[in-house]
Amino acid sequence: MRKENNITQDIDWPLLVSYLVLVSMGLMTVYSTAFDPEHPSIFDFSMKYGKQVMWIGVSLFLGLLVFLIDSSIYRKFAVPIYLFTLSLLVLVLFMPAINGAHAWLGFGSFGIQPAEFAKIGTALLLSSYLSNVNMHLQNVKTVLISNAIILVPMALIILQPDAGTLVVFTSFLFVLYREGLSYDPLILKITNAFPGIRFKQTWLGTHFIPIMFYVVFLCVITLLVSVNTFSFYMPGVAVPGIVGVLIALLLLAALIYLLLSRMSSRREKRRALLVVILGFVLSAIIALSVNFMFQGLASHQKARIEFVLGMKDDPNGGDYNRFRAMAAVGSGGFTGKGYKGASLSSVRSNHVPESETDFIFCPFAEEWGFVGSLILVSTYMFMLFRIIVIAERQRSRYYRIYGYAVGMILFYHFAINIGMNIGFVPVIGIPLPFFSYGGSSMMSFSILLFVLLKLDSQRRDVLY
Amino acid sequence: MNFDSRKIVIITFIATIGVIYTFRLFYMQVIDDTWTLRAQEIAEKRHEITPPRGVIFDRNGRKVVSNETYYNLMMTEADITHLDTVAFAKLIGWTPEKVKQRFIEIRVGEGKFYNKYSNKTTSNYQKVRAYPFLKELTLEEIAEIAPHLEDFPGFKEEPTSMRKYPYKSGANILGYIAEVNREDIVNDRYYRPGDNMGRSGIERFYELQLRGQKGVKYIVTSALNNAIEAFAGGKYDTIAKQSEVMKLGLDVVLQTYGEQLMQNKKGCVVAIEPSSGEVLTMISAPSYDPNLLVGKRNISDNYPALIRDENKPLFPRPLASEYPPGSIFKLVQSLIGLQEGVIDVNTGFPCNKSLVGCHNHPYPSDIMKAVQFSCNPYYYQLTKRIIQEGKKPNVFADAEVGLNLWAKYMHSFGLGQKLDSDITGQRPGRIPDADYYDKWYGHHQWAFSTIRSISIGQGEVALTPLQMANIAAIIANKGWFYTPHFVKSLGNSGPLPEFKKKNYTMVEAKHFPPIIEGMRRVVNESGGTARMARMSDIVICGKTGTVENPHGKDHSVFIAFAPKDNPKIAIAVFIENAGFGGSWAAPIASLMIEKYLKGKVTDSIKEKRILDAHLSSMP
Repeated sequence: MRKENNITQDIDWPLLVSYLVLVSMGLMTVYSTAFDPEHPSIFDFSMKYGKQVMWIGVSLFLGLLVFLIDSSIYRKFAVPIYLFTLSLLVLVLFMPAINGAHAWLGFGSFGIQPAEFAKIGTALLLSSYLSNVNMHLQNVKTVLISNAIILVPMALIILQPDAGTLVVFTSFLFVLYREGLSYDPLILKITNAFPGIRFKQTWLGTHFIPIMFYVVFLCVITLLVSVNTFSFYMPGVAVPGIVGVLIALLLLAALIYLLLSRMSSRREKRRALLVVILGFVLSAIIALSVNFMFQGLASHQKARIEFVLGMKDDPNGGDYNRFRAMAAVGSGGFTGKGYKGASLSSVRSNHVPESETDFIFCPFAEEWGFVGSLILVSTYMFMLFRIIVIAERQRSRYYRIYGYAVGMILFYHFAINIGMNIGFVPVIGIPLPFFSYGGSSMMSFSILLFVLLKLDSQRRDVLY
Repeated sequence: MNFDSRKIVIITFIATIGVIYTFRLFYMQVIDDTWTLRAQEIAEKRHEITPPRGVIFDRNGRKVVSNETYYNLMMTEADITHLDTVAFAKLIGWTPEKVKQRFIEIRVGEGKFYNKYSNKTTSNYQKVRAYPFLKELTLEEIAEIAPHLEDFPGFKEEPTSMRKYPYKSGANILGYIAEVNREDIVNDRYYRPGDNMGRSGIERFYELQLRGQKGVKYIVTSALNNAIEAFAGGKYDTIAKQSEVMKLGLDVVLQTYGEQLMQNKKGCVVAIEPSSGEVLTMISAPSYDPNLLVGKRNISDNYPALIRDENKPLFPRPLASEYPPGSIFKLVQSLIGLQEGVIDVNTGFPCNKSLVGCHNHPYPSDIMKAVQFSCNPYYYQLTKRIIQEGKKPNVFADAEVGLNLWAKYMHSFGLGQKLDSDITGQRPGRIPDADYYDKWYGHHQWAFSTIRSISIGQGEVALTPLQMANIAAIIANKGWFYTPHFVKSLGNSGPLPEFKKKNYTMVEAKHFPPIIEGMRRVVNESGGTARMARMSDIVICGKTGTVENPHGKDHSVFIAFAPKDNPKIAIAVFIENAGFGGSWAAPIASLMIEKYLKGKVTDSIKEKRILDAHLSSMP
């Protein structure tokens, strides 16, 4: 056992420094964006930058607390912590709606967003649960419970509703994937119920992340193509786009079968045919249902997807935010317009809405240009890779799972937030970690990270 | 099972996103400048400053058209946080319903825009833009409203300038300005809603000059359109430039005097300076005070009444009314006859009243006397010689050739066609040619006897008073004219080049003196038809006309120039339904000539007779 007072030596300094760099860059941007000449002090607590200074202070204090508490407590109290964050999610539903969502739990003039903290509870319980069931990741109960841990807060978040955080919760799927959890037990129960089918495993249940990519890709293609009609060079013929998608899928399936059958034995050929047919049927079902589901979305969400896919163009209307954000980012040039020089995204000009929270990347990119953007993306990449390095070096599976959870949550926020600033992702309001103005996100991300730092500093003390 | 390889999937995924985002950012920020331009469009607003319209002076430097400051009450919907409609309506003296109606009116007035890509129609109305809620308030009116405006966020006053006509005359020359409509804006992007443009007269013809140049200020604005700072320190700003001063050939004192003389009469007076072609005066009676059509409120109050008025004050008679010229046409017939050689100066024709009616007068033994006595049978016979010159054996074919030649002569006098001038709204008048009669009677179905009325300026012939005045100017110049025009100079540049070109008629200068002598006698010798125009100290040369009018009393017409040597003014007076040309048109012309040449009128009895005459009510 190492001595407790050696703690500073065991801290992963690269991660902590990258955290402090991002927090400083964020504060600097909030100060520039929300700057009011009548309140020039960065410590003016009536201003957003003053409050952000305060939130950073609170977060660092919480980080210190995390370090003072023995790390075993998070594992021991994983269930109570999880239940506590769940209860906040329930409580928030009884709060009055702000901007159409019950997202804020108010304490006087301050409020917190329980959804931000639910990520911590979920991450802690998931790692704690999965590390308990040694090597039983292939069983139905494990699959069901681990998914329930993720799905219960998600269900409560749907009720708020908060689409952004909902999407972020799917980041836990990557964690499950990394740990080797397979949905096969569930899928096999269904498939093997059919007479004559005796699968031992499916590609679907094991490789669900590549499958997810394929499904997302298929959905996007279907949405893009299904609005058009094809005439196949025959005048007067109008084949709906969805039929075109199905024909393309059929051709693809035939091609794959041809390739597979060339290099397989007769028995394998039959199996390949079955797999290809199944694949085609499932893809067709997805393609057919995606259109149907798309119509079921709320009209503003539908429009946002249409904007990103380039199916609709309305720069002054529904696509205002994204368009303005892109104009702000794109006008930054190579070196930017200079600090406090944002002409589009400063709060004073207000062309970019939410420019100190969800769209904070805009003023940053506008003021610092590509050089700044590159520094920011690199810093995030460094932080994310560092987290994966930390996660992978743990002897304890618990620590590793938690590390991946933190990494994937941060990655999701980074990818979606920046993606929406550069027009790749539909506008869903989620903050840029450590950067965006806001107490809840600052505190919750800091706690997530400091818990990881604490666990990592004690990695040599645990055996499993 | 070992799942360590799966970390590679995750790391690859994260790294891929990182690389894609970096490339995308590089493309957006460094390579593609669409976004920079778009950002400029969004944040760097053009703020346009409309200069006051150009000021217009008359030939003697008197200000004819000036500008006066008024105020618009501007409304920006995005700035309206709350509006007490009742209190606001009370402030501006409207009913609350009218206030609500006005909001709708502004929105609808902006029209809609159809986006063919998105297949959607959107309103052009923008909440962040300031629209005039009330237009053209006087200083007194705004002074009552302005102090209370802080209770009504979203409203503010803005100065604007409007036309003012100190002399209240020359309405048909100057024209008026009115607010642009959607179509105007689409045709010329210079205009913005609420801008004015010239609708008639000089204001319309010289719109491009008079409107000046808008100044543009580039400012960085916020989403609520509040100016934040000057863009690039004002490097790209341009200053609004008012049009250069415009100087007219018009003599506004003469114009005003003429309008006075023409009170209670219907008709026209057109005076031209022969040596320059500048229009000295152009009166259309009855007319209106141009101040009646200043600004939107005045236009909507007064325009309907003016357009409904059965005396048609808005109708610019001098250039758009086509009248048979009557006997003044004989001057041109004489000149053509001399030039063609069908008569010489000493040719006489008997006054054979069986050919065409005439009054009693001595025998017209030469062309001077023919003019002096205005002998109808003389011109019947003269014109017959012009039309039937005997160039073709067939009488019909001969008439065809003769008439076409005659029409060519007429065209060279600027008749039967619009003058290429800055005088807008002209009508061409009518000089019939062979084609014209072929349509009526058929090819080779007519000869001089069929069309004889044209010899005395009746029948199918029609001239505008402007053309009549120009005939006087041509005779004063002995055979040439500058195209009659309004504008003398704009800033330092003189008249347009096309006004500096002499137009020669087909009649040589040597044929003019006998006609001029005849015209002198018309006014100055006993037996002349315009003795009432005579003045002791100025030699006026003129010719009367009495135009037969099938609908009522004859029109009285007189054209003249003076002085005989080195003429300064050529004039045409046309009074509808006033009877004999010598009794009304001639004295009015002489008063105008005296006023112009001497600056005052000595014969107050003549003046009083004209001022007191009510001729417009005559049937």
